[in-house]
This record gives sequence, C-alpha cells and structure tokens, in this order.
Amino acid sequence: MVPVNIGKLIKKREFAPVLHRLIGALGSPVIIEDRDGKLLLATDGAQRQASYPVSVFDEVIGWVHGADKASAIAALLSHEAASEFEKRTLASETLNKYKEITLLYDMAEQVSSSLDTKEVARLVIEQAKRVIRLSSVAVLLLDRESGTLQEVAADGKQLSTSQQIMPGVGIAGSVWQSGRAEIVNDVKSDPRVAPGSLQVSSLMCVPLKAKDAVVGVIKLGNGEPVSYAADDLKLLTTLASLAAVAMENASLYEQLQDAFYTTVYTLAETIERRDPYTGNHTKRVMEYSLAIGRTLGLDEEDMARLKLGAVLHDVGKIGVRDSVLLKEGKLDDDEFEQIKRHVIYGEEMLCRISRLKPAIPGVKQHHEKYNGTGYPDRIKGEEIDITARIIAVADSYDAMTTDRPYRRGLTMDEAFDELRRFSGSQFDPQVVEAFFASDVMEAFFSANSRKTILSFD
Amino acid sequence: MPKVLIVDDEPFIRLLLQQTLEDLEDEGVELITADNGETALEIIRAETPEMVFLDVMMPKMNGFDVCHQVKNELGLSDVFIVLLTAKGQEFDKQKGVEVGADIYMTKPFNPDEVLAKTREVLGMAS
Repeated sequence: MVPVNIGKLIKKREFAPVLHRLIGALGSPVIIEDRDGKLLLATDGAQRQASYPVSVFDEVIGWVHGADKASAIAALLSHEAASEFEKRTLASETLNKYKEITLLYDMAEQVSSSLDTKEVARLVIEQAKRVIRLSSVAVLLLDRESGTLQEVAADGKQLSTSQQIMPGVGIAGSVWQSGRAEIVNDVKSDPRVAPGSLQVSSLMCVPLKAKDAVVGVIKLGNGEPVSYAADDLKLLTTLASLAAVAMENASLYEQLQDAFYTTVYTLAETIERRDPYTGNHTKRVMEYSLAIGRTLGLDEEDMARLKLGAVLHDVGKIGVRDSVLLKEGKLDDDEFEQIKRHVIYGEEMLCRISRLKPAIPGVKQHHEKYNGTGYPDRIKGEEIDITARIIAVADSYDAMTTDRPYRRGLTMDEAFDELRRFSGSQFDPQVVEAFFASDVMEAFFSANSRKTILSFD
Repeated sequence: MPKVLIVDDEPFIRLLLQQTLEDLEDEGVELITADNGETALEIIRAETPEMVFLDVMMPKMNGFDVCHQVKNELGLSDVFIVLLTAKGQEFDKQKGVEVGADIYMTKPFNPDEVLAKTREVLGMAS
C-alpha cells in the first residue's frame, strides 16, 4: 500500500495547475511515473537523462525523469506528498473519533430511553459490533440468587463454553472481582483461562458498575488474534458506563413496579378479609377482567389500568360499617345506600395516590349500567370507562357463582344465561361476548376457585 | 465520472466528509470542495455534480439560497442535494423542504450513513 498515490496527487484540483505552471516556468521537460513504472505525465521533448525519486518518509512512490532541473519537480512532489500523507492520517483519525462520538450520541439516546435490561444489553452489543473488531460479544449480569454472573445477551460465535461465571474464575471472574477493565491479546497464554474453555484468541472484558458496585461484565473477543489497544478499551468502557446506568435504572424500575403492585394487592386483600365470604373474590375478578381485556385486545396502558381497577374495585368498602357490610340477611334501602357509597369512598382514597389515579374510573364506575340506570352517576354506554364495563361483568359473574349465606352460587351455565339476559341493559354486549370467548376457564382455574367441576348438562 | 461536491465553511467538516467518502475516490468518484455558497454555485454550473453536500450556515450565500437556485433557477433539479447543518429545529427542516432539498441531515452526521446514502444516490453498490 503506497502511503500516498502519486497519480491522484498530480491530478488534484488545486495542485495540478501549480505543478504545470512550475514545469513550464522551469523550461525543462519531464516524465513522471509511479513506482511501478506507469506513465503519469510527460511534457513534450522529455528525455530520461536522470531520474529523481519522489518519496514520503523514505518510501519511494514515484519518479521524475529529465534534465537536472527535474530534481526541483521531484522535491516539490515529495513535499506535497508528505503534506498530503499527514493530512490523510489526521483526517482518518479524526473520522474515527467522529464515528465514536456519533456512536456515543446514538447509544446515550437509545439506552437512556430503555427500561428493559435485555434491551439495553442488546443495544450495547449492536453498538460494540459497529466499532470494535470482534467475532463474539456477550453481556453478563449478576444474578443475586445464585451469586454468579449470567449471560443476558450475546452475539457471534460463542465466547466460552459456560454461560455462567463464578467469582474470581477466569478473566471475566477476575474483572468482576477487581472492578478493572482488561485487555488480553494472547488469551491462550493467560494462566486464568482453563485450556479449551475460550474460543477466542484476543479479548477485552470490562465491568458494568453501578455506584461502584460491579453488577456485570461485558466481554468480547476475536477468533483471529488482534491487538486491542487502549482506545478500544476506553470505548468499551464508555459503552459499559452508559449501559450500567441504564440497567440500574431498569432494575430499580422493576423493583419499584414490584413493590408498588404488591402493596396495592395487599391493601385490596386486607380490606376484602373483613368479609369472610368474599375470600379470593378480588383475585378472581382480576383474572376474569384480564381475560376479557385480552380478548378485546386492550392496549398495554388500558390493561394496566384494568388490572389496578379490578384489584381495587371494592377498596372503598373499608368505609362501610361492619353492621351493614357483614349483615346476614338482605339489606334494607338505607343500608343499600350505604353500601353503594363504597364506589365514592374508593375514588376518595385513590385520588390521593397519583399512581393509582388511572384506576379510578374502574373503581368508581363498575356499578354503572350500560343503559344508564346504575350508580353513582347514571352514565351510560361508552360514557362508562371500558375498564369499568369489564369489571362490571367480571364482578357480577363472580358474585353470581359464589355461595352466599343466604343462597347457593349459580353454575357457570346459569351465570352465562344471566349475563346474556342483562346484556345490553346492565352490561355492555361486546364485553359479555368477549367474556364468553375468553380464556375464562384458564382464568377460573388459575384463581384457585373452590369450584373445580363445571356442569355442562 | 461521477462528481460529489462538498460545501462547508468549516475546514474540519470538509475534511471529515472527504475522508468519509475516500473509498469512493478509489472507485472513480471525484470529490470537489468549496468553502462558500457563491463558489459552490459556480462549480455546480460548470461541472454539474451528481450530488452536493451543502452546509446551511455559510458566509456570502447560505445553503438554502444555493439549493433554491440550483433546484429552481438553474434547471438542475437532478442534482441530489443534502443539506447539512447543526440546526435541528422543525422550522429549519421545513425550510429545507421548501427550497427543494432532497434530504436534510443534522450534524453530527453518521459517517456510515453518509457513505451508504452516497453510494445509493450514485448507484454504486459497495
């Protein structure tokens, strides 16, 4: 590979006219060739009296033949070539840095918008492949239960035979413990590597750190030996920092969701326990509602609201006194009015917790009727939030099929008949149909209902 | 011989774009540069390059005006114009569309994408 192509050089837009003027001014014809002898330029009457090399850092790239004045042309070309070489080297390095910058921009943007650990891991891998020479790459994260690093995402030929790393074992294990990134360009000679366990000749391994604690590693390697350098490591380390932050966020978010949901569920169950006859009602209503939601194809957001609303639909009953709530006989009008207030109490409780506000329509409106004769606001049809229309069916179905002190529960068929009877008046017909078509059987069993046999006579 | 014109008043950007498209030079593409709008127009008139990377913020004549002239007044609507700029607001993208630019790229540009797009426009597969 020539450092500079002399053919391109003498044809350069800005330089060519200067060269020709100079040749003219010298008044001495010349022949210019590249180092393979290919003719590039010849002025009239040129003779090969002498030959002068054109060189860049002691490497000959071409020749100028002519009288002794031709040496001036050779000198000019050498100088111009050296200049061009320096410029190209600089440009090439600048472009590489620029590519890294673009990469980091992209990476930072995408990674910070992701709250999914696996997705972040895949993004890291994608970006690493773009700028680092590798045949395999893997992201491993700490699994707290087993105390080992587990592979979360990987690409290319398998880096190693095991997808799990024990503390201190192998290069990855030692990077985990030391928290320091490493380049190992000759893997086969590294004493930490068990013979035959790694399929690469050179590798780099960097820790994923969140607040100084190592939560994982990124390791990558190449089958053919390469020389990973300090700036490759720096790039990988930067990718790792971005990833670690994003993954930590994702993990915290998951934990937050988990804590939040467990709290909500516990709250609902606790309130439910006041009435011994409604055991598991909450869970079943949730399962039925979600089954209907899935059949109707509700989007993620609505499904989340539905779940919350179904779990919390009777939370307002905490405001209803025991004498009314646990009464064994039928309720008189006054007592019924008191029970009805549970939807209002539910709204009042939830409106103080911003994360639970989306569930309020489901809680407040689940006793509204499709024809507008329900409570508390007598709204009808599509005015009733979809989550409430679904919970209404689920709730009624469960109430019908559960035994009460004063009456037996209906069978599945009988309950379905009732739903059909009131479809259009009390219930949204589409929701009723969706319920019949849903995976309610699975929902039924997964909610551990006391009824295990459904009659089909 | 296909020609690509790179117009930007910042030498650093001209250098980067030239370097990005370096491989194409070996494949017979000529890369020409200019550092202002007036010179750019002269070159476009004289050489009709297939593709032009045009910076917007330049002295003497800005990229929008150059683009408008090329596309509308010179009857050279076939020249593929990429407006390259550090500005990224919606307002500016709209102006780009109005003057007839073929694509609008913000800086920092992605070198791989620039090379791929150029190959596409010039009909030169890698």
